[in-house]
Amino acid sequence: MTRLLTLLAALLVFALPATAQNGPLRIEITEGVIEPLPFANPAFVAENAAATELAQNIARVVSDDLIGTGLFREIPPSAFISQITSFNSPVQFADWRAINAQALISGAVSVGSDGSVAVKFRLYDVFAGQELGEGLQFNGTQAGWRRMAHKVADAVYSRITGEGGYFDSRVVYVAETGPKDDRRKRLAIMDYDGANVQYLTDSNSIVLAPRFSPTGDRILYTSYESGFPRIYVMDVASVGRRALPTQDGTMSFAPRFAPDGNTVVYSLTTGGNTDIYRMDVSSGNASRLTSTPSIETAPSFSPDGSRIVFESDRSGTQQLYIMGANGGEPQRISFGQGRYGTPVWSPRGDLIAFTKQSKGRFHIGVMRTDGSEERLLTASFLDEGPTWSPNGRVIMFTRETQGEAGAASLYSVDISGRNLKQIRTEGGASDPAWSPLQR
Amino acid sequence: MRIGYYISGAGHIGLILWMFFGEMFNTPPQSFEVTEVSVISGAEFDAMMAGVQTPEVTTDVAMPAPALPAEVVPPAESRPDPTQPTPPEPQVTEAPQSDPVPQQPDPLPQRAEAEVSDEAPVIAPPPQEEVVLSPNISDRPVPRPSERVAPEPVAAPEPDTQVSDSVTEEVVPDEEAEVVREETEGGAPEEATTRIVTEAMEEPSAAPTTSIRPRTRPARPEPAPVAETPQEPAPQQQAQEQPAPQSDSTADAVADALRQALEGGAASPAAGGQSGPPMTSGERDALRVAVQQCWNVGSLSSEALRTTVVVAVSMSEDARPMGDTLRMLSYDGGSAEAARQAFESARRAIIRCGANGFNLPRDKYAQWRDIEMTFNPENMRIR
Repeated sequence: MTRLLTLLAALLVFALPATAQNGPLRIEITEGVIEPLPFANPAFVAENAAATELAQNIARVVSDDLIGTGLFREIPPSAFISQITSFNSPVQFADWRAINAQALISGAVSVGSDGSVAVKFRLYDVFAGQELGEGLQFNGTQAGWRRMAHKVADAVYSRITGEGGYFDSRVVYVAETGPKDDRRKRLAIMDYDGANVQYLTDSNSIVLAPRFSPTGDRILYTSYESGFPRIYVMDVASVGRRALPTQDGTMSFAPRFAPDGNTVVYSLTTGGNTDIYRMDVSSGNASRLTSTPSIETAPSFSPDGSRIVFESDRSGTQQLYIMGANGGEPQRISFGQGRYGTPVWSPRGDLIAFTKQSKGRFHIGVMRTDGSEERLLTASFLDEGPTWSPNGRVIMFTRETQGEAGAASLYSVDISGRNLKQIRTEGGASDPAWSPLQR
Repeated sequence: MRIGYYISGAGHIGLILWMFFGEMFNTPPQSFEVTEVSVISGAEFDAMMAGVQTPEVTTDVAMPAPALPAEVVPPAESRPDPTQPTPPEPQVTEAPQSDPVPQQPDPLPQRAEAEVSDEAPVIAPPPQEEVVLSPNISDRPVPRPSERVAPEPVAAPEPDTQVSDSVTEEVVPDEEAEVVREETEGGAPEEATTRIVTEAMEEPSAAPTTSIRPRTRPARPEPAPVAETPQEPAPQQQAQEQPAPQSDSTADAVADALRQALEGGAASPAAGGQSGPPMTSGERDALRVAVQQCWNVGSLSSEALRTTVVVAVSMSEDARPMGDTLRMLSYDGGSAEAARQAFESARRAIIRCGANGFNLPRDKYAQWRDIEMTFNPENMRIR
């Protein structure tokens, strides 16, 4: 009987049309495209006559910032179907969808009676037909209009990519003039895009390897002002400086701040041996972190301040090592062919940038903190001295061309290896150091 | 050492023997004839050779006379060099002569006036041809009847008497005797019909054309919470009662199956109904390829590139995504902020590429009305 019932049930199940929906259709997308995201940035609305020029300039800088990342592509205004004439007017998304604008920036600028400038903007996801985040407004002075433009671009970049921006930042570097055999060097500071250059030192003495403090208000650098290399600390605002205490007959160089801003790690050469030291900036107390007959230099803290990566030739060739913030047994992380140097820990903490010399060429590369997944981003006659953007997405470095007329200049590259481009500087430039985002 | 002496001795002996008896091997010189010649002087030699003439080498060869032309062709005029502009020659214009005065033509002869009568002539109608409908196909020639078989059968000759060793009587079948038939299998002629029935004329069969996808096995029902019994039954009692629940569970399962089958059939019209065969892998791939062509991960952060998001969307009947139904069901591998970025990228991909409608089979709308897309950027990460 049971078998009969079961058979009957089975017949019914298969005989009746099974028309019920068994859930939604499921598919998996594992491949996509990598291309710049098209955006539209109509001229910012000038809310009064005094803001007309500023509105155009600010919109131009915002677009340049976004385009410069290599992640965005601006749709030319000539393709626009509709215009934005009022900041508060509704957006005709269909018009912007028709020209394939995936993001739309709407902005307005006004100049107050006291000369203050107000810049506000909104960002729209055109295909979703909604605003991305909320509108923001920045207030400043007319002299600081570029910073306001950079901040607008940072906000747009952050909302679309999910990463912090890096446009409102500065770069300190060594400005170079003169021929190769008589080159004059001095410290200079500029916006990340090469604008607003200011010189911090004169060219009477050689200066090397400037480094920003974690807050961006101070700069460490090495100078031959006293006849031998010595480390100085400079206040960016006042351009005042002082030398870090050191012993006579020693050479100190390659300084770098710890994340707390109170400690400095550097290399000290004494008796023909170079080791890594750390020093409390305020008290001047120093402690030795390495003690080997080999050369240890170029230390760089991890973002959490717990570890230091540096270069050493203790194995016979120049390689990268990691040790604790207070010293200890270092661990080698570079094992590829060639020589590795000038390691810099990423602000994100996940990567280490370095200079690699292999087969007569120089490279800028990145690797995981355990030495895995090494990737070379550049290759040329001479690439060296990487520095990270505040968001850890871009690396700036020095590239020097070959020959008697060869000159040093600054380049930047995305950590994916794309978007290699030269930074505009007035003359030769080397040894860049990227500041954190300005406040 | 001795070998050297032997060799040296043998050599010397041989040399001595050759000195004494060597003449016997010399062949005598052959005799030669001596002929007397006469010597002549140079003058005599010249006089003797005077009759022989050596040919002279001549380089001037007379050209053959050209064949006489049939007509005398005047020399061609030299053509002017087209590159050299030729100065325009002054044209000499003659004084125009006065046109000749046209002479008056001769008067045309006057036409003879035709005689016209008011009555119309009677025109005889043309002889009408008889139109005969000719057959399109000529008649097949009818074969001439011929008597191939004699119209009347000729009486068969009597059979010859067979010769046999013994005399046998002729046996004639008895028509009244019962006929005993051998056992044979039954047979029937092939079926025949008076008209041909093609497949198109056949009535549709009631058999289903497609098989029904077997339904997934229903989830095993959760065991119902059993109320705590104050006292466990005795083992013997359990053994006796054991068969009863088994039969109940079987019956329940059968009843559940019946109920699900009946419910499924009844609920289908309300649910929109699944029409046609299930979606093929090619149709799924077409949708996947269409979406991934618009999934731009170039502007995503590193963390968002490590985040997999599952996006649900409902589609309209024209295969366009309904924007207000787009939502993120879940994410994995990143923070909420990274998941938001990844979702926005996926949403843009779905809306942008579905703006004109995806290429989906309209007759299977019930199957793709609700779609869950998993966006996994594992292959797109920076390596």
